[in-house]
Amino acid sequence: MSDAPRSLPASSQTVPTREEETKSHDEHPPGQLPGELLMWVLILSEIAVFGAGLLAFLSVRLTDPQGFAEAQAHLHRTGAAANTIVLVTSGWLAALATRAAEAGQTRRLRLLLVPAILLGAVFLVLKGSEYADLFAQGIGTETHAFYTFSFLLTGFHAAHVLAGMVLLAVVGWLGTPKAVETGAAFWHMVDLVWVLLFPVVYLL
Amino acid sequence: MSRVTKAWALLIVLSAASTAFAASGLGGAALVLPVLLLAGLKAHVILRDYLGLAVAPAWLRGFDLGLAFLMLTFAGLALAA
Repeated sequence: MSDAPRSLPASSQTVPTREEETKSHDEHPPGQLPGELLMWVLILSEIAVFGAGLLAFLSVRLTDPQGFAEAQAHLHRTGAAANTIVLVTSGWLAALATRAAEAGQTRRLRLLLVPAILLGAVFLVLKGSEYADLFAQGIGTETHAFYTFSFLLTGFHAAHVLAGMVLLAVVGWLGTPKAVETGAAFWHMVDLVWVLLFPVVYLL
Repeated sequence: MSRVTKAWALLIVLSAASTAFAASGLGGAALVLPVLLLAGLKAHVILRDYLGLAVAPAWLRGFDLGLAFLMLTFAGLALAA
């Protein structure tokens, strides 16, 4: 792994160099959204989708609060709490990688993204063990409305974690500040959704 | 300590506080309100320091307003159950 800028293929000569991207990022006008506008559209969309899902979850809970409480007791609360620590720590590493990319430290950004991705894998292992335990008890999506929502919401979130891990690997390979910033923003969105989802599904 | 590292430390503290409330045996508003407040604070820290909205305070206030509305609706539904 070298800190030297990668040469671009002839077909990509219009793509800005790392130096140009760094300069552009440093000159980001204060008061405007940092990073890619489309990523912010995605972040807003994801908050809206998960927010609507959680509102539906809480609304359906009104029809059977006792059943929801009993179903919730079967979830792995401790594992989910640990997963919060796992994701915020992974997000911290991704944020540090963004700073390293801006400083042109390609080797450092990759060394930061590798554990960030591995922590994503830890999240999925803990989530998978919870699912396996529920399935072993004969619990599925149709057992109770609580599980329909909890599997849907946490499963959709887990799919985002998996996608984020792939994205972080790709932007780590590319190594440009803009790519790393965009990949890290997606990862922070996954983090943000989890801190909203966790208390509603696991704690309340 | 960098801003991002301070944010991470704060997120760990807020997460530990959420876990402490959940493990305390409290119920009703005494559980719902602090847990959702802590979730909202964590979301604010992620937006401000991880996603960099500290450089765009107007946007950060807009996100905070939307999240506050969402958290209050969550709280209303949770307490109505």
